[in-house]
Amino acid sequence: MSAACPPQSPAVAKTEVLVEDWCPMLAATFAYWDNILGPRVRHIWAPKGQGLSLLSDGEVTFLANHTLNGEILRNAESGAVDVKFFVLAEKGVIIVSLIFDGELKGDKNTCALSIILPQSELSFYLPLHSVCVERLKHIIRKGRICMQKGYNIISMLSSEIVPIMELLTSMKKHSVPEEVDLKDTVLNDDDIGDSCHEDFLHKAISSHLQTCGCSMVVGSNPEKVNKIVLTLCLFLTPAERKCSRLCHPNGSFKYDTGLFVQGLLKDSTGSFVLPYRQVLYSPYPTTHIDVDINTVKQMPPCHEHTYHQRRYMRSELSALWRAASEDDISSDNLINAQDSYTPDLNIFQDVMHKDMLVKSFIDEVFLLKPGLSLRSVYLSHFLLLLHRKALTLLRYIEDETQKGKKPFRSLRNLKTDLDLTVEGDLNIIMAMAEKLRAGLHSFVFGKSFVTSMQERDLLMSF
Amino acid sequence: MIGSPDVVAFTKEDDFGDSFSDPLSLPEEFSVPLFTHTANANPWTKTSFAKFSKDFILISEFSEQVGPQPLLTIPNDPKVCGTFDLNYFSLRIMSVDYQASFAGHPPGSNYPKLNFVEDSKVVLGDSKEGAFAYVHHLTLYDLEARGFVRPFCMAYISADERKIMQQFQELSSEFSKASEIVKLGNRKAFANELEKKLKDLEYTRSVLHKEAELQKMNNGCYSTQAIEKANELANMEKSIYEHKDLLRQITSYPSRKRRDMDFVECETEKQADTSVSDDALNGNHSEVAEKTDRKSSYTPQLIKAKSAKCFDKRLKTLEELCDSNFYHQTLEQLNVIEMTFRGDLCSIYTSQIDRALLSKQRVTSFLFEAECDWEDEGTSKNFNFTSNIPTVPVLHLSGEPLSLESYTTCIDLDHIKPGVESMEGPPESSTSDITQETSEAADTETKGSFSSDKSIEALGGVSPSSLQANYFDGLERKCKVSIASSFENASHSVAVPRRSSDGNLVPMDASCCIGQDSFVFEEPLPELAQECCGDTVVNQEPLSLFQGDTALQVNYIPEESALAESPNMGLTFSELNTCVLSEDVAKINIEDASDSTSYMSASTSSDRAVSPFTYGSVLTLKQKKKAGHSALRFIRQYPFAQQAIFCLLSGRTLVILGVDEGMVRKLVNALFVFVPNLGKYCETVQPWLSTPFQLTDLQRWKLIGLQRAASPAGSSILHSLNRYSRYISILDCDNKTLRCPPYRGTLISHLADHRTQIKRGSTYFLHVQGMLTQLTAKAFLYTFCHHIHLPMDINEQGSVKSRRTNFLLQLGYTVEESKIVQYLSELIKQHYVQGSSKWVKQSFCFNYTTSFLYKI
Repeated sequence: MSAACPPQSPAVAKTEVLVEDWCPMLAATFAYWDNILGPRVRHIWAPKGQGLSLLSDGEVTFLANHTLNGEILRNAESGAVDVKFFVLAEKGVIIVSLIFDGELKGDKNTCALSIILPQSELSFYLPLHSVCVERLKHIIRKGRICMQKGYNIISMLSSEIVPIMELLTSMKKHSVPEEVDLKDTVLNDDDIGDSCHEDFLHKAISSHLQTCGCSMVVGSNPEKVNKIVLTLCLFLTPAERKCSRLCHPNGSFKYDTGLFVQGLLKDSTGSFVLPYRQVLYSPYPTTHIDVDINTVKQMPPCHEHTYHQRRYMRSELSALWRAASEDDISSDNLINAQDSYTPDLNIFQDVMHKDMLVKSFIDEVFLLKPGLSLRSVYLSHFLLLLHRKALTLLRYIEDETQKGKKPFRSLRNLKTDLDLTVEGDLNIIMAMAEKLRAGLHSFVFGKSFVTSMQERDLLMSF
Repeated sequence: MIGSPDVVAFTKEDDFGDSFSDPLSLPEEFSVPLFTHTANANPWTKTSFAKFSKDFILISEFSEQVGPQPLLTIPNDPKVCGTFDLNYFSLRIMSVDYQASFAGHPPGSNYPKLNFVEDSKVVLGDSKEGAFAYVHHLTLYDLEARGFVRPFCMAYISADERKIMQQFQELSSEFSKASEIVKLGNRKAFANELEKKLKDLEYTRSVLHKEAELQKMNNGCYSTQAIEKANELANMEKSIYEHKDLLRQITSYPSRKRRDMDFVECETEKQADTSVSDDALNGNHSEVAEKTDRKSSYTPQLIKAKSAKCFDKRLKTLEELCDSNFYHQTLEQLNVIEMTFRGDLCSIYTSQIDRALLSKQRVTSFLFEAECDWEDEGTSKNFNFTSNIPTVPVLHLSGEPLSLESYTTCIDLDHIKPGVESMEGPPESSTSDITQETSEAADTETKGSFSSDKSIEALGGVSPSSLQANYFDGLERKCKVSIASSFENASHSVAVPRRSSDGNLVPMDASCCIGQDSFVFEEPLPELAQECCGDTVVNQEPLSLFQGDTALQVNYIPEESALAESPNMGLTFSELNTCVLSEDVAKINIEDASDSTSYMSASTSSDRAVSPFTYGSVLTLKQKKKAGHSALRFIRQYPFAQQAIFCLLSGRTLVILGVDEGMVRKLVNALFVFVPNLGKYCETVQPWLSTPFQLTDLQRWKLIGLQRAASPAGSSILHSLNRYSRYISILDCDNKTLRCPPYRGTLISHLADHRTQIKRGSTYFLHVQGMLTQLTAKAFLYTFCHHIHLPMDINEQGSVKSRRTNFLLQLGYTVEESKIVQYLSELIKQHYVQGSSKWVKQSFCFNYTTSFLYKI
C-alpha cells in the first residue's frame, strides 16, 4: 500500500448522538467491502449513554460485518439499493441493512448502511420499516454522489440517521396505540358539532381519506390536536396507527416524513413552519388540518404528488452533483442552487371535491347512542365498505387493462358500475386502492397529467 | 397564439437532447426516474419480470460435501420455478452462517458440545432477478456430520418484496412452527442414533476387551498387540464417554424451549409413532434405552475405531435426519404456508383487514359473510362491553335509558314465536335435496305441530297485538280474488280468524287465502295489494285445497302483556327452543337425508358437480366468489334480475321452477349470494327439490330449485306452488318468466345493472359484497338507532311506525327498499336474541303485495 493509503486503525470512528429519551435503536453502522481486507466497518452511530450496555462496539462491528457477508456475490444494477432484514435470535437483535455500491478510494465497493435494534422491538419497528427504509434510501442516493465526488459521506449519512434516531425515540413514547378508544375521539360526542363544527369534521375526515390517510394536525392546544389525531386514526389500519404520532405537549416535535397522522403544535407566537421538502418527500400527499381556525387543506392527488416529489428529488441530486466543493452541499445551499426547478409553494389547496360516503357516515353515526360501542361497530362497517370498494375498483381496472397491458380508458363506466359517480367518493376509494397497489393513480391519471405538465414546461421555456 | 395541439408535438423526446450532453448533468445511475411507470412499466409489472411463475418454498442445505444445494421446492413442480437458478439462489441465501452457532469441540474443552441455537430469520432479495425471500435458518444434528451439525434453511420466495415485509410476522410465525416440528423430529432421531452408537461402542468394547484378554494370555501384557489393543480400548472408552455426554446434552434440551413448542407436541400426538418425545428424552437415560429396546430390537455391531473419511460417507437425507412422520408433518405445514400466502398481496391484505373488521361485527356478519371469515374467535355471544371490541346491546323500547346490564335481559319480545318454530330444530333436511319420504315425514311433523299449536307467524316490527290488528284491518278490506285454475276448477273458501265486535276471533270467509292456481298473470290485480309487510302476523296456515276442513282451531300467539309477565320470556330465546340441534346433529341429519334416495327423482344427482353446495360442509368464500360469475351472467340475461334479487333481499322465498335440473341449479347458484343469512351450511337454500314443499319449508328455505315434471308427483309439486303462491315468487326458467312483487328504487340497480361493464365474475362478486356491506350497515343503523324505536307516549305505537318509515325515507330508501332494511333488521334482532352461535331460524315472512309477471 502506498503512503497515501495507510492501514486503517482497528478502532472504528463513532458518533454519539444525544437523544432526549430512550432510543430503541442500538446503533447504526456504515460498512463496506474492502477488496483486500473484506468487510470493514467505517463508522458507528449510537445514542449517547445507552445501548452500550447491550452491545459493545466489538459486537456492533461483528454484526455490521455480517451484513455484508454473501454480498461478494451481489449482482445488482448500478445504483440499486437492496434491503436486507435480519432477526438474529441468538444475538437478540434485528438489523436492517441497505446494500449499495459506491466508490471508495477509487474502487467500486459494496457498502451497507445498517441500523441495529433489540429484538424485543420487532413489533414496534415493523410498521416503521418502510418509513426508515425510504428515508435511508434517499440519503444513500446523496451519499453515493458524495462518494463519487470524494466528499465525506459520513456527514451526509448523519444528516438522516440522527433524525431517524429521534423519530424512533419519539415514536416509542408518543405513537398512536394500535387500537384507538372511540371515547378519546370526536365520534364519542353526544351530538355532531359538540367538539368541532360538523362541516370541519366532514372535510377533515374526507380529505384525510382522499390523501391516503396521511394528515398533519396543527394547533395550539395539545388536547384538541390529539383528539383530532386520534379521530383520524380511527380510519386507519392498526399498522398505520402505529405509524402515527400524537403531538408532544411541549411542542418539541418537528414534522417527520412518512408518518400517517402526526400532531404538531404551533410555537408561542402561534405560527407553524411548514417544511416544504419533508412534506413533499412523504410517500403520499398530505392533508393539513388547523384545529385553531378549523381549516382543511390538501395536497394534490398521488400522481401529481409523485411527479412533484420526483422532480424535487432530481433537482436536489443534480444540485449536489454540481456542487463545486464540500462546503456547498448543505441543504440550504442545495435549495438555492436549484435554478432549474421552481417549486410550487402553494401545494396545499382547498378540498375541492365533496363526497357522499363520509358525509352520510358522519350524519348517521351520531344517530347512534354514544358509549355503547354501537358507533364502533358502525365505524367498522364503514371501513369494511371502503376496503371492499377499493379492492373492487382495483380488480375492475385490472380486468379492463389486463393488468396494465392496455391503457385504462373507461373511467366513466367505472364510476357508474361501482357507484362512484360523486368525485369525492372516487378520490377516497382511489386513495385506498393506491395503498394496495402503488402507482395506480399514475397509471390511471398519469398520462394526461404528464402531458399537461410537459405542455406547461414547454410554454414556459418559450 | 400557440395552442395545446401545437405544443404537444414538442413534448416528445426528440433529437436535440441527445446531441448535446451536459458534463454537469447528473448521470441516471445517481438519479431517480421522473416517472414511476415509464414505457411498458405499470403497477403490475413490478412483479412480472421474475423468472418463476408464482411464489414457492425452497429448502436448501449447506452440505459439507458439495456446499449450498437446493433440496426440494414446494410446490414440487418444475414449472413453478421456471428458469430461476435454484443453485445460485441457494448459494446466496446459505452463504452466511447467521446463527454463528458452534458445535463440536470448543476450545479448551475435551468433549464435544452441542449448542442449541435459535433460528434466525433473514429477508433478502436479488433486485436484478426480481426474487425476494424470507429465509428461515435452522440447524439439525447429525452424528456423522462435521461438528454434528447440518445447517438448513427454508425460504419463501416471491417476486413481491412488499409482500415479504408486510407479511413478515405471519411468515415468521408459520415457518417457526415448521422448524419446531422438524427440529423435534431431529432431536428424536439424533437421540436414537446415539443410543445405537452407544450400543455398538459398548459391544465393540466388550469384544475388544475379550481380544485384549486373549492377547495378554497368549503374548503377555507388554506385547505390541496387547498395547495396541489397550489403546483401542482406551479410545473406545473415551468415545463411549463422549457419546454418553452427547446423549445427556440432547436429552437435557432446555425446557423453556420445549414449552414454546407445545403445539408441535399436540400435533405429534396424532402420529402413530411417537416413541421418543422430548419428555422421554429428558428422562432417565436408561429409561430411554429401555423404551427404545422395547420398540426396536437393535443388534449391536462391531465398529471400526476410525470413521469413514468425509467424502466417502453418505450424508443422511432430511427425511432420515428427522424421522419420517415429522418430515411429512413439516411438509404439510409448509404446504399450508404456501397456500396461505400464495397470490396477490392486495387480496391477502384485504382479507386480513376484512377478518379483523368482521370480528367486530358479529351482530351482523351472519347476514352475508361466509362464516369462516368471522367465527374464528369463538362464536358465543360473549361480548366484551369494556374492551375495544365493540359490542351491541339489544334494543329496548322503554322510554328511559337502561344500563348495559339491563340491556341483555330486556329483549324485544315481539318476535318470539311459540308453536311451530319452537318445535322445529334447525333445518335437518334443508341442505340436502329432499325426497318424497322425508318430505312426507316433514309434512306429518308439520301437521302435528299445527294440530297442537295451529299458528303460523309472520314477522312484524311491532307488538303482536298491534300486528294482529293490522292484519285484520287488512282483511276487512275484503280482498277477495278468484282465479281460474288450471288444476282445480272450484274455488274454495277457507276460514281465517276474524275479530268480532267483542274482540274475539271468529272464523270468516277468506277466499283470498286460497292458493292461486295459475301463477301467470298478465295484469296486476290492484285490489289485492294489501300492505301488511313487516307488521303482519298470520295465525293460520292456508289450507290445502284437498282438505275438507273449513275451520281450524286457531291458537293465537300470546298477548304481549302475557309475554312480558312470563319470567321465562325474559330468558334467551334459545331456551325456549327445546329442539335446537347442534350443528353436528344437523350435519348428521343432512347426511341421512341425502342418503335416503328411494323416492328421489332420477335426475337429482345428475348436476351435483356444478352445484356450489357441498352437503354438510361449510360454505366457503371461494364458493361464493365462484358464484359471482353465474350471478353476472344472470343479471345480464334476465332483465327482471333486480326483481328477483329484491325478493331474496326482502325475505320472500324465490322458487326457481324448471324441468332441467342443471338449469335450475345454475340459477340457484347465480342467486344464492343474495340470500341473507345463508347459514354455515347454506341452510336457507334448497337447490333441487323434486317433491312438494310445505309452508314450514318456506320458513327455512329462501331460495328453492323446484322440479317441473309431468308425473303425479309433478302435479302435486305444482299444486304446492299454487297453494303457497301468494307467499313466494316464482322464476320459471323454462318460460323465462318471473312472478313477484314489483320493485322500485335505485339500490338494486346499483347492485344488478344489466349494462354493467364489469368483466369478471369474481370482480362482480366483490362489487356485490361491497354493496351488501353497505346495506348491512344501514340495517344495523336502523336496528340500533334508539330514538326511532322509542314511543314518545306508551300508547303511541303509530308514531313509532311512522318515525321508522320516515327514518328509512330519509336514508333515501323507497318503500320497497325499506322492506329490505326492515327484514334484515329483524334478522339481526333474532340473531342477537337466539345467540350468534346458531343459525338464525327465520320467521315466515310475507306480504300481501300484488305480484306482477315479468317476461324477457
